[in-house]
Amino acid sequence: MTEHHRKKPKGVIVRTSGVAWCVTMVAAASLGLVACSSSANSGSAGGGSTAGKKYTIGVSFDLLNAIRQAEKSSIQSAAQAAGYSVVFDVADQDAQKQASQIQDLIQTQKVNAVIVIAQDGQQIAASASLAKAHKVPFLAIDRSIADQQDVTFQITGDPVADGKAVASQFLAAKTRPLKVLELVGGLTDQNAIGRRDGFNAALAGQPGVTIVSQVPTDWNPTEALNGTSNALQKDPAINAIYIPSDFLLPSVQSALTAAGRLAPIGNPKHVFMVTIDGDQNGCKAMQAKTLDADIATPVADFGKQAIAAITSARGGKAVTPKAVEAKGLILDQANYAATSGQVWGCASS
Amino acid sequence: MNPVTDIYRRLHAATRREPLLPVLLVLLLALSVTYHGFASVTNFRNIAVQASPLIIAAVGMTYVIMTAGIDLSVGSMLFLAAAIESSHPVVGLPTAAVFAVICATGVGMGLVNGLAVALTRVPALIVTLATMQVFRGAGGHITGQQNINLPANLRGIGTGSLLGAPTPILLAAAVALSGGFVFSRSTFGRYIQAVGSSADAAVNAGLPTRRVIAGAYALAGLLAAVASLTETARLGTVQPSIGQGYELTVITAVVLGGTSLFGGRGSIGGAVLGALILTTVQTGLVFSGTSPYVFDIVRGGVLLAAVLAAGARWRNLAQAAGLVSRLVTRGTDGPTA
Repeated sequence: MTEHHRKKPKGVIVRTSGVAWCVTMVAAASLGLVACSSSANSGSAGGGSTAGKKYTIGVSFDLLNAIRQAEKSSIQSAAQAAGYSVVFDVADQDAQKQASQIQDLIQTQKVNAVIVIAQDGQQIAASASLAKAHKVPFLAIDRSIADQQDVTFQITGDPVADGKAVASQFLAAKTRPLKVLELVGGLTDQNAIGRRDGFNAALAGQPGVTIVSQVPTDWNPTEALNGTSNALQKDPAINAIYIPSDFLLPSVQSALTAAGRLAPIGNPKHVFMVTIDGDQNGCKAMQAKTLDADIATPVADFGKQAIAAITSARGGKAVTPKAVEAKGLILDQANYAATSGQVWGCASS
Repeated sequence: MNPVTDIYRRLHAATRREPLLPVLLVLLLALSVTYHGFASVTNFRNIAVQASPLIIAAVGMTYVIMTAGIDLSVGSMLFLAAAIESSHPVVGLPTAAVFAVICATGVGMGLVNGLAVALTRVPALIVTLATMQVFRGAGGHITGQQNINLPANLRGIGTGSLLGAPTPILLAAAVALSGGFVFSRSTFGRYIQAVGSSADAAVNAGLPTRRVIAGAYALAGLLAAVASLTETARLGTVQPSIGQGYELTVITAVVLGGTSLFGGRGSIGGAVLGALILTTVQTGLVFSGTSPYVFDIVRGGVLLAAVLAAGARWRNLAQAAGLVSRLVTRGTDGPTA
């Protein structure tokens, strides 16, 4: 072996040890960050330990956004009232990660019950089977699970009914004719499809209301902004917009502002708009009278009913009904003062 | 020279330089003829405004792909920059200071990618896949996954205008022109092309390959941050889903524009045209009133066409190289028959 070849491994070793140092430092920093934030994300509502002593509920969410924060709060407050502690995980929209988290909750942390918002309604069935095998009640909220054989209890919204409720607002509108731009959420998302189908079915054959454009957004705010701008460009006579979620509302408002069409109710330029969810965006727009109605998801019911089902299962009682579809609460300009207190987004707006 | 002949000669030269130019022109013509209202100044301006953030990000991505690298974290960088922009310590600063902080953040994020790729030689795909999660997670941590409205002073970059021209278009034009100038006329640009063509040859020639690679990623980070400033200003709000899947759109624009995924060959003008074509197709789909499902089919089709075209170009180049090699070998060995 030449001198050159003998020296090369030394350099490699030095570089490798440098990389190892980097990895160690990054790992240490990450663990420090996790330790700092763990109280915020994995705290126990009842203040108990995660396993053994206190009845513990493991919660796995698909993601964490405004509505999920409200759902998390509803579970935590209901659990605290019942004397349970909560361990909380977020799967970052990764079905495999969610399956691993649930496995960890059941087998390692040995939680007494599991509540999930499934990233994938099909894949989550394996996690439900695992829970059943360990005699752990398995509950689903917000997103339905395809195979409910091993699911103890499920409570979701009713997207088709919500879509129909939006349509009823359009049918009751004073402005005629209504030329509607319909934004559609993710085309692979059951909520988006349900909201679209309910809306379209209720408007089919109705005189005076015409859907002139259907634009997919993939639940992406930029797509919603561009899609709305393009649709207004294509058909300036559009005077009504169906927005399938409040979180797309700012995008639509930006597009309307750019087109000089964002105006309050009563102004001739006003575009009739109805959304679903009832978050802060919707409540603020209702207050500003630029939004005509919002179909609010009954988020507080999700947590309360899920914890009540766990209490029933814990006492050995059968949970009936096993599946609940909770319709949204209609918030319009006429009932805003009386009803907004029941809407989760208005409480914090 | 006859003016018509002169115009034809110039168009022919431009077409040879940027083969995508006639594609864009034909697309615009076809949509203008087919759909009423498409051929209007307002609509063309609308398309240009919508394409602006994509053009800005695509210019940065072109530099990265030219080094035979890839940056999957561009969408997450966009979100983290937006999250920092909306955070309490930053949002209250004077507008220029906010922009400076965000640009510095972009450079920092890009440097993390660039140094990791250049120093460890871990494939860029893996490094940026990891940082994609890190940046998005950090953005989520800062925003608490909440929607945060931006104040009016930060919205001008996306909604304002200067001498009648929308700010995003001016910004995208400035980025594209300066990006093209650096790419074709500067030492850094030539180094980028050399590193992308053959990293080993560049090392043997004594080029500072690590600094060049780190610089390319830092530039991509900077431009992702500028794209973020433009995009969030247009939206008026910072939302947790901003930038999700954006990397695919940016890479599609760059590859569609003729930049080789294997590095060493590409153009800024091609990336700009790629971004404009993607946005025009998107607008055309809305004008067509087609089923929402068709949108995905067409977008996927454009991506497939871009990849196939890139593959075909690469095969042509490989065949040409093989042919030259065989000719050289024959020339050296003399006639075999």
